[in-house]
Amino acid sequence: MRKRRGIQETGALLMALSLVLTACGSGGGDKENAPSGSASPSESGASASPGGQAVELGITWWGPDARHEATKAALGIYTKQNPNVTFKPEFMAWDAYWQKLPTLVASKAVPDVLQMDAAYIQDYVSRGVMEDLSDIDLSGVVPDNILENVKIGGKLYGIPLSHNAQGIAYNKPDLEAAGIELPKQGWTWEEYFQWARDAKKKLPEDKYPIGDPTNAWDWFQWYQASQGKGAIMADGGKTFNLDKDLFVKFHNELAALRKENVLPPADTSLAFLENDPQADPMASGKVMTRGATVGSVAALEQLMPGKVAVVNVPNGPSGGGWAQSTIFLGVSATSKHKEEAKKFVKWFITDSEGGKALGLTRGIPINESIYKELEPNLEAKDKISKALADVASEKAMPFYSAGPGYTEWVDFYKTTMEAVMFGQKTVEKAYEEINKLGQDIAAKQK
Amino acid sequence: MIADAARKRAKKRIDWSGYVFISPWLVGFLLLTLWPIGQSFYLSFTDYSLLSEPVWVGLDNYARMFGSDPTFRKSLSVTFAFVLFSVPLKLLFSLLVAMLLSRNIRGMNAYRTAIYFPSLIGGSIAVAALWRNMFGKDGYVNHVLAWFGIEGTGWISNPDTALGTLILLNTWQFGSTMVIFLAGLKQIPQELYESASVDGANPVRKFFHITLPMLSPVMFFNLVLGIIGSFQMFTASFVITPRGGPMQSTYVYAVFLYEKAFKHYQMGYASALAWILLVIVAVLTALNFLASRYWVFYETDGGRSK
Repeated sequence: MRKRRGIQETGALLMALSLVLTACGSGGGDKENAPSGSASPSESGASASPGGQAVELGITWWGPDARHEATKAALGIYTKQNPNVTFKPEFMAWDAYWQKLPTLVASKAVPDVLQMDAAYIQDYVSRGVMEDLSDIDLSGVVPDNILENVKIGGKLYGIPLSHNAQGIAYNKPDLEAAGIELPKQGWTWEEYFQWARDAKKKLPEDKYPIGDPTNAWDWFQWYQASQGKGAIMADGGKTFNLDKDLFVKFHNELAALRKENVLPPADTSLAFLENDPQADPMASGKVMTRGATVGSVAALEQLMPGKVAVVNVPNGPSGGGWAQSTIFLGVSATSKHKEEAKKFVKWFITDSEGGKALGLTRGIPINESIYKELEPNLEAKDKISKALADVASEKAMPFYSAGPGYTEWVDFYKTTMEAVMFGQKTVEKAYEEINKLGQDIAAKQK
Repeated sequence: MIADAARKRAKKRIDWSGYVFISPWLVGFLLLTLWPIGQSFYLSFTDYSLLSEPVWVGLDNYARMFGSDPTFRKSLSVTFAFVLFSVPLKLLFSLLVAMLLSRNIRGMNAYRTAIYFPSLIGGSIAVAALWRNMFGKDGYVNHVLAWFGIEGTGWISNPDTALGTLILLNTWQFGSTMVIFLAGLKQIPQELYESASVDGANPVRKFFHITLPMLSPVMFFNLVLGIIGSFQMFTASFVITPRGGPMQSTYVYAVFLYEKAFKHYQMGYASALAWILLVIVAVLTALNFLASRYWVFYETDGGRSK
């Protein structure tokens, strides 16, 4: 009997172990499991040769539903114009996209055409994922200065699709109803904070003029850049410059505002979820303003139709906010149908019928002539996007993304500053820790 | 002699047909389980970003974990706190419910279905969303508290209460544990209770001297599974308190591992983390098995729990 029990025990132990092991195996990011269920787009069309022969192009992008529908419609139009080309689209939300793409790269199954973001494109170019598109002729389609701006090492790796910009959205009718002076275009950071203090006096206890940007690193980036101290991460992440005086000044001011109840309490701030119908800071009616980009302001306008107006990000001596193309369409370096893919990406920003289908789902079209065709029929959400691009561009600075290898730093900034929000850490101590991690990462990149 | 030799030959011959019959499973096990596990072991000694080839770094990943990564310690302590509270709570609660549901009253099957039902949807995103609405700053829970004049906090956005809320959610997903308990309860021979009743034992005494000992193997099974499951808790922390927030107060090990792998693209480090998790769970499970000699009672052992 005892022996029998021993066997039972061993068996159960083995079973328990294998339970853990299998879970670890998939969590550990093994190559074998990664591509299951994902498309290997270049295979199906492999037998066909380019030029008149049937080709299936894999294409992948991220975005909201509206963009998915519009893009599928545009792909349909392309197939109608070029019956030999069909598509295998894969589309998802932002988070899922950037989780999936690395595994596709690792398994060498990147779709022929892929959407890219300014925050990531340098990383992917340096890994040799992106095909050089410099030979696509875009004169008269994309303004030369923009084209030069988005080149990496003198080469074009992604076709810029749209104008993007950062501004601030505000709830116009609610501010007017409370008798608060509307935000002034061209305001400075000092005016911004003062406006918030004045506005709070006229708002009820549980409503707030501005949200708490303490844990968002990009807000401090805008502040630092506007004061003439430039990018936090530069040279592809090799230099790291977090200005201590500005950091302490900015966050002490926010801490003071939090104390005066001008900013929401920390546990309220952290419960906000942008673009969620119930939890969005502005759509829920709790906060009167929030940061918005060309794309996100359209989503906001749909959550609270007719109530959104826009203004620039507060300025400093060097400007304020940013305006740039941040979204690109590129071709995979491993694609088997590079010529077809290149032809398609050019079509994507030049064809008027395709442009109509796509509308403003990726921001204000980069191609002026397409935008002019769309202009007479713009919806409210499109108009607000355009308005944001206009107010932002006045004093806009370049878009400074987190350098490659800094995703950890971005997370660390968030957690550390949340401790400051809850009063568990001083601003000086937070600076020390955040700066140290940044310097360490920069040192590693050299 | 001849018979002896024949028997020896028969012993040496391997009967391959058995392997052929289980080959589908065997192939799956080797290719989809063993191979990835081996891969992840190898990767745990490399620096691998998915985008470029892995680079061998020896024990660096492990050294970094124990030497210079405060997030590792933080996530480990959050996970242990979660396991320490959620496992006993869940066992206790599911045993309680199983006791109620093992009674013989009319319509019991309907009750069982109704009570088990939440567990079917328990780990899903929909429930996570529901939980957000219930325990948010403007959630139902705070509305109810307001009736009594209590001003609630944002339960899932306040670092002091967020983990507690997740433990509560885990306890609420008691279904499968409860079903196993229920089956165990049904196995206990009624004669034991009858004879105890004849001897004049009260219900409390019956519970501690009959139900618990007879149920101990089932309890043990649930305990082991509960510990393993709790160490791998992910969805709740990831969705309800987005990405282990606020202030990493719910940043459990699995989320930490996942973010290292799929957000920061540090596959090598993430693999090393997975192996450490395996070691931790294996050690705890082994300890559990050792301890079980002193409290788990098997009927087949001739009535001695040794």
